[in-house]
Amino acid sequence: MDHTFTLNEQRVEVDAPALTPLMTVLRDELGMLGTKNGCAEGRCGACTVLVDGSPVVSCLTPVALVDGREVRTVEGLTAPDAPLNPLQQAMLDHGAVQCGACTPGILMSLTALLERESAPDEMDVRNALSGNICRCTGYHKIVDAALAVAGAENGSRS
Amino acid sequence: MTSLIGSNVVRSDGEDKVRGAAVYAMDFAEARTLHAQLLRSPIAAGRIRSIDTTRAAALPGVRAIVTAADVPSNTSGWILKDQPIFAREEVRFIGEPIAAVAADTPEQAAAAVAAIELDLEPLQALTDFDAALADGARLIHPDWESYAMLVPAPRDGNVAWESTLDKGDVDAAFAAAHIVVEDEFVTPRQHQSPIEPHAVAAHFEQGRYVVYSCTQYPFLCRDRLAEWLGVSPSAVRVIATTIGGGFGGKIDALLEPYVCVLARKTGRPVRLVNSRREELQTAGPRENARIRIRSAVSAEGEILAQESENLMDNGAYSGEIVACSSVPALIFGGTYRVPTARHRTRVVYTNTPPTAAYRGVSGPYCMFALEQHMDHIANELGIDRRDFRMQNVHQAGESTTNGQVLSDAIYPEAFARVDEIAPWAQATADQQAGPLRGVGIAAVTWLTNPGPGGATVKVNEDGTVTIVSAGAEIGTGAMVTGVRQIVAEELGVSIESVILAPTDTDTGTYDGGAQGSRTLFSVGNAAKMACENVREQLLETAAGLLEAAPEDLELVDGHVGVKGSPQARVPLAAVAQTALYTGGPISATGKHVTPPVPFDAGCMTGALFTGFTTASYHVHQAEVEVDPDTGKVTILRYVVAQDVGVAINPQQIEGQIHGGVLQGVGYALYEDLRVEDGVVLDGSLEHYRLPTAFEAPPIDIALLENPTPNGPFGAKGAAEPSILPVASVIASAVSQAIGKPIRSLPITPFEVLRALNDETESLAAAAPSPTR
Ligand code: FES
Ligand code: FES
Repeated sequence: MDHTFTLNEQRVEVDAPALTPLMTVLRDELGMLGTKNGCAEGRCGACTVLVDGSPVVSCLTPVALVDGREVRTVEGLTAPDAPLNPLQQAMLDHGAVQCGACTPGILMSLTALLERESAPDEMDVRNALSGNICRCTGYHKIVDAALAVAGAENGSRS
Repeated sequence: MTSLIGSNVVRSDGEDKVRGAAVYAMDFAEARTLHAQLLRSPIAAGRIRSIDTTRAAALPGVRAIVTAADVPSNTSGWILKDQPIFAREEVRFIGEPIAAVAADTPEQAAAAVAAIELDLEPLQALTDFDAALADGARLIHPDWESYAMLVPAPRDGNVAWESTLDKGDVDAAFAAAHIVVEDEFVTPRQHQSPIEPHAVAAHFEQGRYVVYSCTQYPFLCRDRLAEWLGVSPSAVRVIATTIGGGFGGKIDALLEPYVCVLARKTGRPVRLVNSRREELQTAGPRENARIRIRSAVSAEGEILAQESENLMDNGAYSGEIVACSSVPALIFGGTYRVPTARHRTRVVYTNTPPTAAYRGVSGPYCMFALEQHMDHIANELGIDRRDFRMQNVHQAGESTTNGQVLSDAIYPEAFARVDEIAPWAQATADQQAGPLRGVGIAAVTWLTNPGPGGATVKVNEDGTVTIVSAGAEIGTGAMVTGVRQIVAEELGVSIESVILAPTDTDTGTYDGGAQGSRTLFSVGNAAKMACENVREQLLETAAGLLEAAPEDLELVDGHVGVKGSPQARVPLAAVAQTALYTGGPISATGKHVTPPVPFDAGCMTGALFTGFTTASYHVHQAEVEVDPDTGKVTILRYVVAQDVGVAINPQQIEGQIHGGVLQGVGYALYEDLRVEDGVVLDGSLEHYRLPTAFEAPPIDIALLENPTPNGPFGAKGAAEPSILPVASVIASAVSQAIGKPIRSLPITPFEVLRALNDETESLAAAAPSPTR
């Protein structure tokens, strides 16, 4: 069955059974390996992508559900040959990346938060991370990175 | 140029990681790759009557099916060589590999696995300590006596390994005691659960196996494969991919032999990735254990003697745990003065999945037991728990029970720093007021793994520097920040100009693996040694260019310059290019191994760990609040004072502490990999609960500088220690809050409510009682 959607601002067409997880389509059909398969059961958040701006676990999202919609993955945060975006840079500057296997999913959850909330506080950040497991960092530096970006954006707006 | 030692440089693999461009083992595939799946035993113990692969082999896309009949009958193991590649006559745990399939797609491989006809005759499954140790129990390994060992140790039937410590006249000390305090503790399995499960790929090339793996210890992986496959170690090449977390679970080989055998058989690359279910149910977790400990104590609060009887669950085959059997004896006498002791630890075979190393190996539960026992003694004597610890903790220059001198112990400073951050007096006063509150404190001595390491450093013709090493970067930043910082500092170049070559057993010298906090320490030492040699080559070459004596030259800012004459200098690029045709290309290899720690060898048997090499010293404190209606434990405050030697990259060390503490919080409060009748009940992250951002407590950190002459710039290992004291301080705090002893983990709400309502239990009369 054919499915058409927008992936990181480009139209893609894939031929896959309707219930194929979006994660499988991204990784195995489209070679988008930035979206990580940490559990394939909706529990770790490593496969988080944005569908029309909202975070979803792509391992439990049938590809048919994203027909005609806009999908964004970690590879879409900035072009491969462009500088990192502020959130990516903040994650590195704050030491919020260790093994990095959770990082793509965490970046997508936080991207949705930062686009949705103009001035998220610590509780908002933790809420946004509730579906993402990081086994390495203990989360503190991830929270710090997100708050630093939120603070900087507020600062530049006011 | 400011020093790079102590600076928070950014990791060199970071940009790829935040772009989603880093290729992990779970992402790795070569062209023409086949997909493998394993047929695993459905029962905990049984005899294999027959395996029929005819029907499966005829299915579409199936390229090869292999079983025990296709591989050498060698058994392998790091310490105790008791494990076959595939179950041969018997299966010994649920999930044990029996056959492996390679097919064009994962679905075809799975279909073929399902079509293999297996006939097993069940045997009595011995799935816990009591069953395995019962008189006349069936032998889980009937041939146990024939297995080779790295070093000899007492063994006996279902006791895979035994380790003892006997020091002084224990019976006399107990007879003379003012009081004798005795406790028993039971702790569960804890699963490492890195976000990337075990994942491997291999192909066969020029007569050698080439393996891509997220292994923490490429050379162990190589040696294990050679042993299993019956080939020479140099016939195996292991390349570490980007590694998506390990925590000890990826030290030993696991999936590697299957892809090797299938790649050889099919002539194609083969990959194999554990599902999350396979990961939880078959990749070895921290062992469950039972500890019985008793202490003879004087009226003045001195510990006169200690005795313990400990059981560790090995599971069906031996991984690292047999090597950890001396950890209880080391922990029990390594932090507090215990002059006389008798300890015995038995590692017991059971028909359950093999257990394995997990950060801090057996330390967290040994500490949990010891520290609850210390609280018990303090309460019996009516002494403040912190005072009791301060009174008994080792001072610099004192000896552990087995005779290791702790020359650089800094416990008074560590206790004081914790107290500055969160005063004990205040915390205990808070405990008297208001809701159910408690505070716990504990100290621990730990080690930096002494394994050997090496590094080659070369100066490239553009003035950059490349480090070639088989040290694996498992996420801690040891290689991608720490070792690079050491090299940049030594050669006076910018951090950006230090490049890390991929981790590969073909190019790097032997390395003892990313384990026991050793990578930055050992590879850092080796790299520093290489740099000293490289530096001489640079100065000698530049001396000719600058017409100066080598002793008058220095390495600064990517140049060799004449000391005191800022203008007289040449860039490293020019020096490296000149060297090509004068002394030859500039490079050197350094090496490192920690000398053994002297101890009283006569008092121990069966011990691979015999002491705390490059010891470090740690104090943690936790304050908790317990909800009496729901049993929920909230950690209000957590303080860590950690001896790091010297912090090469403080930010990365803080990350290790945050992560280690949260894994400890998981162990204390949530994580319990339940095994019933040999079945791992928790096959999903829905049931096996990992801490989320909501469970991360606020953590205050004091990094204690206590330089060691053995470490690069004085650094000690820093990644493991933070997990060790967590369960013990949380348990102490909860125990004080509810006025009941805690004797098992995890401390779930149900466990808290059960303890609260148990009228038969209380802390000793002298203990502060809960206020409601
Ligand atoms: S892979 Fe989708 S939530 Fe884990
Ligand atoms: S950085 Fe390893 S899981 Fe988050």
